Amino acid sequence: MKRIISTPHQLLTSIKRGIWGWALSILVLSACSGPSVPKQFTENELRPHIYPDYADITIPVNIAPITFHIDDEAKDYVTRISVGDSEWTFGGDDVCPSERQWRDIKQKALAETEGKIDVEVFVNNDKGWQRMRPFAYTVVSDSIDPYISYRLISPSYITYEDLTLNQRCLETFDESLIYGNMINSDEENGQCLNCHHTQWYNPERLQFHVRHHLGGTIIAYDGDIRKVNLKTDSTLSAGVYPTWHPKQPWIVYSTNLTGQSFHTRDVEKIEVQDTKSNLIFYNLETNEVTPITNDSTNLDCFPFWSPDGKYIYYVSAHWERRDTVNLDFELIQHYKDVQYNLYRMAFDEKSMTFGPRQLVYDAVARNRSVTLPRISPDGRWLMFTEGQFGVFHIWHTDADLYLMDLTRIPFGDAPAPVAYKSKGAAGKSDIASAADNKHEKGADTPDAVTAATAQKKPDGITAASPRASGGKPTLKGPIVKAHEGTIRDSASIAEASKIPLPEYIRVISEINSPDVDSYHSWSSNGRWVIFSSRRVDGNFTRPFITYFRKDGTFTKPFELPQRNPQYHREFMRSFNIPEFMSGPVTVSPQEFARIIKDDASSVNLKIR
Amino acid sequence: MKSKDSKSNHPLPQTEGFGGGLLYWLMPVAILVVAGIMLVLRESEMLWRAQELNLWLPTELFWNTLMKYPGGAVSWIACYLTQYFYYPWLGTLILCALWLIICLLLAWEYRLRGPWIWLTALVPLALLACVTQTGYWVYYQKLQGHLFVPTIGVLFATLCLIVPRLVESNLSKSPARWIRLGWMVIICLAGYPFFGAWALGTTVLVAAYPAKEPATTWRGPAVVTIFTILLIAVIPQIYYESIFEMTKRTFIYLAAMPSMRYGKESFEIYRLPYYAIVLAFILIMLASRYGDALIQRLTKKSSNSHTAAVIAVALLLLAVVGVHAAWYRDVNFQKELAMNHAIDDLDWERVLEIAREPAEKKPTRQIVMYKNLALFRLGRAGDEMFLYPEGAEKQNVPWQLHMAQVGGKQIYYHYGKANFCYRWCMEDGVEFGWKVEFFKFMARNALLNHEWEVARKYLNLIRMTTFGAKWADHYAALLNNHDAMYLEKAEAAIKAGKPILSERDTEEFLPIMHLMTYPDRLDSDNTLVEMYLLNSFAKGNGNDLLFQEMTLICALIMKDIDLFWPRFMKYATLNPTVHMPRYYQEAAYLYGHLENKVDISHMPFDQSIRDTYDRFMQFNTQCGSMSEEQKAVAFAPMFGDTFFYFYFLVRNQKTN
Repeated sequence: MKRIISTPHQLLTSIKRGIWGWALSILVLSACSGPSVPKQFTENELRPHIYPDYADITIPVNIAPITFHIDDEAKDYVTRISVGDSEWTFGGDDVCPSERQWRDIKQKALAETEGKIDVEVFVNNDKGWQRMRPFAYTVVSDSIDPYISYRLISPSYITYEDLTLNQRCLETFDESLIYGNMINSDEENGQCLNCHHTQWYNPERLQFHVRHHLGGTIIAYDGDIRKVNLKTDSTLSAGVYPTWHPKQPWIVYSTNLTGQSFHTRDVEKIEVQDTKSNLIFYNLETNEVTPITNDSTNLDCFPFWSPDGKYIYYVSAHWERRDTVNLDFELIQHYKDVQYNLYRMAFDEKSMTFGPRQLVYDAVARNRSVTLPRISPDGRWLMFTEGQFGVFHIWHTDADLYLMDLTRIPFGDAPAPVAYKSKGAAGKSDIASAADNKHEKGADTPDAVTAATAQKKPDGITAASPRASGGKPTLKGPIVKAHEGTIRDSASIAEASKIPLPEYIRVISEINSPDVDSYHSWSSNGRWVIFSSRRVDGNFTRPFITYFRKDGTFTKPFELPQRNPQYHREFMRSFNIPEFMSGPVTVSPQEFARIIKDDASSVNLKIR
Repeated sequence: MKSKDSKSNHPLPQTEGFGGGLLYWLMPVAILVVAGIMLVLRESEMLWRAQELNLWLPTELFWNTLMKYPGGAVSWIACYLTQYFYYPWLGTLILCALWLIICLLLAWEYRLRGPWIWLTALVPLALLACVTQTGYWVYYQKLQGHLFVPTIGVLFATLCLIVPRLVESNLSKSPARWIRLGWMVIICLAGYPFFGAWALGTTVLVAAYPAKEPATTWRGPAVVTIFTILLIAVIPQIYYESIFEMTKRTFIYLAAMPSMRYGKESFEIYRLPYYAIVLAFILIMLASRYGDALIQRLTKKSSNSHTAAVIAVALLLLAVVGVHAAWYRDVNFQKELAMNHAIDDLDWERVLEIAREPAEKKPTRQIVMYKNLALFRLGRAGDEMFLYPEGAEKQNVPWQLHMAQVGGKQIYYHYGKANFCYRWCMEDGVEFGWKVEFFKFMARNALLNHEWEVARKYLNLIRMTTFGAKWADHYAALLNNHDAMYLEKAEAAIKAGKPILSERDTEEFLPIMHLMTYPDRLDSDNTLVEMYLLNSFAKGNGNDLLFQEMTLICALIMKDIDLFWPRFMKYATLNPTVHMPRYYQEAAYLYGHLENKVDISHMPFDQSIRDTYDRFMQFNTQCGSMSEEQKAVAFAPMFGDTFFYFYFLVRNQKTN
């Protein structure tokens, strides 16, 4: 898709970028073109050390040029990219095809070699010219959404100067600003911005928050831009983590009281915790906020609307104050005991009410904690991030991505630990039985009981109907208390850790890394996933893209290509919340800045 | 095209070349030489620290990062040149050379001759004041390359004046006027993105550049004035709307100027040297246009260089007085910088030497902490920590200074609080811009935390700077020697006679690794470095001797008897063969007498400890009626170096 220039601002920005771009291109082209492959060389069985690691990756037909840097030390370098009989050669340790070359390469590959592009790196070192073990790219005809949006933020703790919300064309290297905080900040009045989100990939329907100075939620909806204050007397905070309804002008948010504290020794450095969190529903048309959940012992977070609009998926931890110290301090002391399960609530569009919550995945039973449920556009796959504790997994090195096949869950029959099976076992495993026993002994309503109740309510909406709740509509479902919020002894932790994953969930080992793998977003065609990972250096989050095969597996993820292949090594900010978009946001940062300078309009509170 | 009547009606001096007389250049050159020498002699430590608190990278990303804001090119050039303060004399030489170029250009452009040439030195003197007033701004200034920015900005302006000078000399009035207006548009339009407010100022300078023939009507100057105002008012707005998406509208006219703000407060006094630059240009213009006429009127002579000399010297003297007044002089600031540098060099004896230097002020907490750190590193804290002056003098700045933003990172690093050092590097990197110093700490913290890849990232960035390669290469060697960063392995290798850490790395890292032998927990320092360190160590407990001694020292400084005893006992247990240091004995002896919780009768205290205690108590009885403040003065000569004095008479040590 061609980049659209629809405003004078974009035109000028393009010109500005163009000047630097041309200057750089001339330099790059002069550095990258013209060398010839050595006639004599020896074979080296080792793969070249290249950054980013693009060896044997699968890429979309419309992706920007794949550029890489050769880390192997040598006097000279030649790289040959070949498709069938055609070849392109590049000199130097930075291999950077031009956009035109890259287009030819991809087209030929799709036409002649079923997408296979061969890459050979020749290095001239003490042993003379050597050909390193070749690798390949595979181009597939499934395209990727042309744009992504993300927040660029230093992995800092409390400071947030130079915080920007950016968009990047994936077909080129063009990056532009959606909004940056410095346009409305000064020494005295700092401004944070976060949680951008579009409705169904539509850049015309975007929301994000600004905090502190001139704070409010900015919502752009088909040309109408408004700034609202979603905080009401009856809600914990303004809206935080958003999810748009796929079609209607409705947004569900979590409301959070969030704090952070710092590890004295651990490399994870920061622990971000909610002390309270609920869910609210915001209707843009009526400008009304309606609380959905409001239980102080449940920490509800990260809602996500299913593509059919019938369910809200979210995560929740159960935590009851145990001692007399303040809640913040207690949670800090027991931060490893706060674990989140995956739930959903049915949503009835007509009455705009939510059903009781249903447990979808009892991670706590496995001594694990779930966050960020995201469903593929076809509604079949749910990807989430799992770590051992907490909800802010970007700081948890054990965080990995998991995939749930929603078609394999008897939906409406909310799955519970009793239904878990260990591999090869037809009925309950011993561990699952042990978990059952534990429930039965507990004072709270165990999952098993709730799940049994839920089985009789296929869609969950009935519970929210006026009749079911004694003539008055309710938005609050029954509280499910399972293994959550329990300070466990080491024996029970060990036991819980042995409980296998349910059959319909798998850890996506083919894309996970030893470091953090967290925020993820599906492309609109469901064939690509972009996710945040700290695998490169453990500290700075970088976006990785992976292809989702039709058999439900993923290909090797590749780092977002940049014009300068070493860009991410030099860059001191993290890519936060990468999300696909069907095109660029056309509202200029200055226009957003003007809206943000205005006072936020209040919302009406609607209690059902 | 040559001017037809360049001699007959020329109101400007006729001087061609650089002032028409080399002798007259002796004064500006002498001023620059003295300025350079003074800078090196008095500000070497500040200049050196400034280059550590600076970053210049030869990358497109670095250029683009600065160019996101108007005036990014000034900072880019200034950051590059600031690196040369790595050798303070070299950076100063470059600075003085640029000032000399400015003087020469100004003299030529404004056709100054005779003693009026001396007025060109007013500009470097104002620029010198911009440097010498820096003080703690070296840590807090957000403008990147701030020490060189005014010089580069003024150099840009003087270079731009070459065009009107040539035009006025070689073209007739009408084309000269049009070319000048065109040149103003070019400077403003093309210069603003690169030079920010300096381009706007230059536009004004070009507009005000003395025309060859003075205007005979008001209309011409009025049009130029309106045109100039429009230019400098409108062009930044156009850029704001179209290009610079990260600059607040109210800042667009001050782009590339130092903010001189911290938090809610703005400090106008620090802007005076910048106003002085403007004033210097005005004086030079006035001298150029009216200098000779004024003297003629005063002396009734067509030319009188003595009068001009007197006026010029008087103005220079005023400027020198101004520089002297603006020069930030604070003994504690200088001490902090020098100690900071010595710690970077692991020269602990030098740290103590500086701590011992007599001063008219009491030390800041940072100086006291540096001193304690040095003593701890030398293994002499228990015997010497109260031999040095105690104090909690507030840093001489008009804002609330936080140690975390000044020397706190270094202190955290050497006390083994790698995550907190890393945190403050990250916080300040975000707030004040990335600095070489931050990368150096972050790289070493990453090595201590065994985060090899991110350590490599920071080391690679440092390597790209002009003087960072050697430093980066030294520490990069540890990336291939992971065992060396594990305490047990490093010490085992030393015991086996095959050290895997170099001598310097052993000296730097091993004590830090010892201090890192504590379990992880969630915590926060609330920006109070000293309080956090005291609390976290004093409540710590370990089996590492160095760590345990640190817990004892902190319990001692906190005067917390309950915390002291278990740490004292454990230290004694871990260290049975070594003589118990003086101050640990004094504390135990005192606490034993103050409270009877611990039986000290069997403890082998030195006789000198017992005697000092007895004398202290006797003297206290003699001074019974004195107030605490009076006692503090009276006791100091005899007991100022005892823990007893510290315990009873050193109070209210507020830390920041």
